Amino acid sequence: MSFALTSFRKDIARWRQDFVATLIWVAIPLMIGGLITTLMGQDVKPHGTLLLVDEDQTFLSELIVGAYSAGELGELISVEETSSRDGLERVNDGEASGLLIIPEGFAEAFLESTPVTLTLRTNPSQTILPGIIQNVTEILLDAGFYAHQLFSDEIEVLTSMTDNPSDAQVAAIAVAINNKMENVAPKLFPPVIEIEIVEPPPAEPSPPLVLLFFPGIIMMAVVFASNGLASDFWRERQLGTLRRLVFSPARLAEFLMGKALAAALIIAVVGGFTMVLGFLYHGIGWSHLVSSLLWIAVSGVALFAWFAALQMLFSSQKTASVISSMLVFPLLMAGGSFFPLAVLPGWIAAIGRASPNGFMADRLTTEITAAGAWSIDLNSWLLVIAGAIVGLAVCVWRLRTGFARA
Amino acid sequence: MPHRDTVWFVAMLNVQELSKNYGDFVAVDRISFSAGKGQVFGLLGPNGAGKSTTINCIAGLLKPTSGHASVAGHDIVSDGKAARRNLGVVPQELALYEDLPAVENLRYWGKAYGITSAALEKRVTEVLEYIGLSDRAKDLPKEFSGGMKRRLNFGCGIVHKPPVILLDEPTVGVDPQSRARLFEMVEAERDAGACVLYTTHYMEEAERLCDSLAIIDHGKLIAQGSVNELRAKLGARDVLQLSGHFPVEPTKQAISALIERGNADLEFLAQEEDSITLTLSHASQHLPAIFEAVAGTGGSVSETSLRSPNLETLFLLLTGKELRE
Repeated sequence: MSFALTSFRKDIARWRQDFVATLIWVAIPLMIGGLITTLMGQDVKPHGTLLLVDEDQTFLSELIVGAYSAGELGELISVEETSSRDGLERVNDGEASGLLIIPEGFAEAFLESTPVTLTLRTNPSQTILPGIIQNVTEILLDAGFYAHQLFSDEIEVLTSMTDNPSDAQVAAIAVAINNKMENVAPKLFPPVIEIEIVEPPPAEPSPPLVLLFFPGIIMMAVVFASNGLASDFWRERQLGTLRRLVFSPARLAEFLMGKALAAALIIAVVGGFTMVLGFLYHGIGWSHLVSSLLWIAVSGVALFAWFAALQMLFSSQKTASVISSMLVFPLLMAGGSFFPLAVLPGWIAAIGRASPNGFMADRLTTEITAAGAWSIDLNSWLLVIAGAIVGLAVCVWRLRTGFARA
Repeated sequence: MPHRDTVWFVAMLNVQELSKNYGDFVAVDRISFSAGKGQVFGLLGPNGAGKSTTINCIAGLLKPTSGHASVAGHDIVSDGKAARRNLGVVPQELALYEDLPAVENLRYWGKAYGITSAALEKRVTEVLEYIGLSDRAKDLPKEFSGGMKRRLNFGCGIVHKPPVILLDEPTVGVDPQSRARLFEMVEAERDAGACVLYTTHYMEEAERLCDSLAIIDHGKLIAQGSVNELRAKLGARDVLQLSGHFPVEPTKQAISALIERGNADLEFLAQEEDSITLTLSHASQHLPAIFEAVAGTGGSVSETSLRSPNLETLFLLLTGKELRE
């Protein structure tokens, strides 16, 4: 076992000389993660401007303006009054989502049930906000139509009144409207079906999308590092040190154990650096750090072992390097490094979770989003450890069956 | 058990009927030799003769097809680990971690051979001094010259003080100064009691370093003995090379006819379009007759070279080809 430690120290010392490789392993995932965070990290709702030309300036036209500014709609749309000319120019310049022109005589036409045209111009360069504005406008018009049908008598009284109705007249109309509302309320809102509302157990809030990218980014660093470290067997073969090792009484299994330990530490450092940055950015509890680091270290050793075993199957370093590198990209794609598995369609996510790094990223997601630390189940730990052991056994077999002797 | 030829000779390295086949190709064909303590045994042969294959079999890198070899009494197959523990290998190609300081290389290989930490530091310091790299101990081998790398390569092979050292063409591509330093180191190891197996295709290295040697070609040992014993196989003959303008075959026949009358032990070693190389005892005495024979064929000699025979001559005599072919 002491030679395993010697082998471990040797690889760590060599790794410290190869700063550039480490930088690449860290920099690429960080760069991609940074881009994703920049693009998706700010949880911003779309916001647009509705330019309004109110040529009517009546109570009804102001109601329409108010409807756009009320409630959640008001968070999406800012209403800004302007003139027709200015409004058209600004919509054409793409400065607003839409322009609504309420023509003079709108209220009068509404009350007298005569045709009137509201003009809505939308910004063709936008899709969502103009659509919302159009839908809201149509709903308002529908509501106006039904109100007109329901309160036609009251509206007729209103239109026949003089400019300054007395309080008694207003009160009479209000009472009439109220009575009608009371009469139609059971019809409009009939309790036909009794609904028993059962509150579901409070679901844990789903994590923000950008946080779901985080484990995939970490695994990207781990995949890069483990693939890079696995190529060291070929490098040792080229240096002649593997042959020299076979000349010695040292055991190949101990040599490999040392290499695997070194890989675990290096991967923990490489992944850990990215992880600490992510923990800081996302405000993940530090209690998850040790378990997460251990998970990526063990996962990294498993990936390292399998990459090494794969590379040692080929007869030349070039072929091994090309095949291994070709495998990295699909693995990253499938494993959720570019698209979080949680947001992919079910069957694609299932395939992704079946890939080694996807499985590891999925469990890491569990760990960092769970309330408590050490949330990865025992079976997952055992599976990854078993994968690492099998991979290392294949490596020993290849070293003994000629790879080290060539 | 080690092979014992005499009461005082203890074979530290013993090879018996060792063969290595690759399918139908016989790389090493039933070779046997032994080397003792404080002895440099040379394995001399051209490239591809089977020297490295023999070394790789002894070192445990290749499994022999048949035969046996033992190192310090330990069979290389049945007791491989003990055999390897007693063996230091300096491979033909450099086998160093170029990104690990020289001192760390030595420590690593020392530990690979099981040297404990306490003894290791002392030994590493000794070896660094010995290979002349004390002042570059913390530097990376990738910054070293070719000669310095060779010396470090040698140091890594002997850091565990092995009783048997295998040196596989250690001077290939080495500058004269580093070569001389390597010779000194080999001699020092021999003087310290190590048994050294030294493979080379440089005849002058074998003559300088080896107490005894074997000549190998096409996987077979074709001659074996001490340098003097092998030289004696040539007798008191000289090597004569004639160059000029003459028909080669008629000239050879004419020389043979004349010399045989004088009862000399003539053998032709090589011939080219305008030269003939032959061995002959007391060649200088026969020169007039030889020139007469050449003149008799209508030819003329423009250059004559007369020298004492060496191992190269023996190799030429035994195989009909030059050692460096």
